[in-house]
Amino acid sequence: MRRVEVLKNWMMISLVLLLVVLCSACGESKTNPKASEAPEISAPQPVTQDASPSPPRVKTHPVTTGTRETYQWYCAQCHGIKGKGNGINAPHTAVPPRDHTKAEYLETRSDEQLFHVIKFGGLAGGRAPCMPRWGHTLNDDTIHALVNYIRELCECDYL
Amino acid sequence: MILNRMPRPMILSSAGVGWQIARLMVTVLWLSFVMPAHATPDVSLLKKNGCAECHRLNPEAPLDSRKGPDLFFAGDKFQADWLTRWLQEPVVIRLSGFITDTGFLKGEPTLATPHPKLDLGKAEAVTGHLMQLRMEGLEDAPSAELNEPLSKGKRFKYKILFEREYGCIACHQSVNLAYQPRGGVSGPSLLSAGDRLKADWVYRWLKNPKKFEKRGRMPLFEFNEEELQALTRYVVWHKQSEGQ
Ligand code: HEC
Ligand code: HEC
Ligand code: HEC
Repeated sequence: MRRVEVLKNWMMISLVLLLVVLCSACGESKTNPKASEAPEISAPQPVTQDASPSPPRVKTHPVTTGTRETYQWYCAQCHGIKGKGNGINAPHTAVPPRDHTKAEYLETRSDEQLFHVIKFGGLAGGRAPCMPRWGHTLNDDTIHALVNYIRELCECDYL
Repeated sequence: MILNRMPRPMILSSAGVGWQIARLMVTVLWLSFVMPAHATPDVSLLKKNGCAECHRLNPEAPLDSRKGPDLFFAGDKFQADWLTRWLQEPVVIRLSGFITDTGFLKGEPTLATPHPKLDLGKAEAVTGHLMQLRMEGLEDAPSAELNEPLSKGKRFKYKILFEREYGCIACHQSVNLAYQPRGGVSGPSLLSAGDRLKADWVYRWLKNPKKFEKRGRMPLFEFNEEELQALTRYVVWHKQSEGQ
C-alpha cells in the first residue's frame, strides 16, 4: 500500500514537472478520477412553483412542490406522510411528534414560534429534544415555507 | 520490482535534458498504464456478484441509481471481521429500509430484505475487495482518543448528549438503561455500531456527513470537537460481540 502511495506521488510530481518543462498542450488530458465532489444536492429544495389554489392571504414564502418534497424527505419520518404525527419513528420517541393537522394546538402557536422550533430544535423552544434542529440543513426561506405548509395542513392560523 | 523504474528527481544536466524527459515520459506512460492513477480498485468480483445493481461502487455513479447504501468508501467505514460475518448472515440494520426505498416512510422495506447471502469463501473474498474501496483526502481523526474504552461515568454523560441534547435516539436504535433496544427506526440501527463501524469513520461522518452522503435524511449538525469525540465514543460503545 505504502509503495503504491509513493509511486502515485511520484507519478503526480513527474507529470506536473513534465507539463511545466514541456508546456505542452495535451489534447486529451485524461482527467484525474479524483473523488470529484458531486454537485451539492441538499435534498429536494424548492425549485418549481406550482399553481395550487393560493392560501387565504398572500404569503411571502409560498408553499411549492419543493416544500412538500422537503417535508416528505425530512419531516415525514417522524410527523408522518400526511403530517398526522404518525411517522415511522413516532412509536419510539419519548414525546410524540406533533400532529400538524391539529388546529386546536397550532392555533396557539405563532408562525415565529414554529419557525424557531424548526430552525433551532425542540429543546431551544421549550419542547422535547426529539424534535431536531434543522437550521444547519435547511435555509430560512425553506423553513418559512414549511411553516406555511404546516398552516395548510392544519387549515389554521395563529389566533 | 517496479520501484526501480521510479522516475528520479529531476536534476537535469543541460546535455541530457531531452533524453531524460523522454525517459520520464515513457516511465510515466508505462506507470499510468499498469497502475491507473489512484490505483483504481478492482470491483469486478463485486460486479460479478451483482452488488453493483443496488450499491454504488464509485462516487461518479448517479445518485438516483442506488437502492442500497454506498460502498465506495467501505474500506474506511467498516470493520473487516464484521463484514465477513454479516455477508454470510445479514441481519437488518436499516429497519425501515434504505432511505430511497419506496416503502421507507411506511416502515415496509421492499428491497433486499433479506439481503443476498454469501458463503464463507465468497464472503472473505468480497470483504477483501470491499476493504480496498477507500476515499481520497479524508481528514485525520483522533483515533487513540476515539478508541479508548468508556468509563461508566463518561458513558452516562455522553448518553445524555446523545439522547437529550441532540435527540439522536429519535431516529436511531440504541439501548435503554437495562440494555434493551430502544429508539427510532429511520436511521441505521446503532446496536452493533462498535462491531460494524470504524471509530474514525463515525467521527468523520459526524463532522461532515456531506462528504459521504450527498442526499441523506439525517439533519446536519455543527458539533464542537468535544462533542464530536463524545458522540463518536458513545456510538461505537454499542457492541453486540461482547456482552455489556
Ligand atoms: C426525529 C423526529 C422528528 C423529525 C424528523 C421532525 N420532527 Fe418536528 N417534532 C418532533 C417531536 C417529537 C415534536 C414534539 C415536541 C414537543 O411537543 O415537545 C415535534 C414538534 C414539531 C413542531 C411543533 C413545535 C411546537 O411549537 O410545539 C413543528 C412545527 C415541527 N415539529 C416541525 C417539523 C418540521 C418542519 C420537520 C422537518 C423539517 C420536523 N418537524 C421533523 C419530532 C420530529
Ligand atoms: C437487491 C439490492 C442489493 C443487492 C443485489 C446487494 N445489496 Fe447490499 N444492501 C442492500 C440494502 C437495501 C442494504 C441495507 C440493508 C440494511 O441496512 O439492513 C444493503 C446493505 C449492505 C451492506 C451493509 C451496509 C451498511 O451500511 O451497513 C453491505 C456491506 C452490503 N450491502 C454489501 C453487498 C454486497 C457485497 C453485495 C453483493 C454480493 C450486495 N450488498 C448486494 C441492497 C442490496
Ligand atoms: C431525523 C433522524 C435522525 C437524527 C435525529 C439523527 N440521525 Fe443519524 N442518521 C439518520 C439517517 C436517515 C441516516 C442514514 C444516512 C442519511 O440518510 O443521512 C443516519 C446515519 C447516521 C450514522 C451512520 C450510520 C451508518 O451505518 O451509515 C451515524 C453514525 C449517525 N447517523 C449518528 C447520529 C447521531 C450521533 C445523531 C445525533 C447527534 C444522529 N445520528 C441523529 C437519521 C437521523
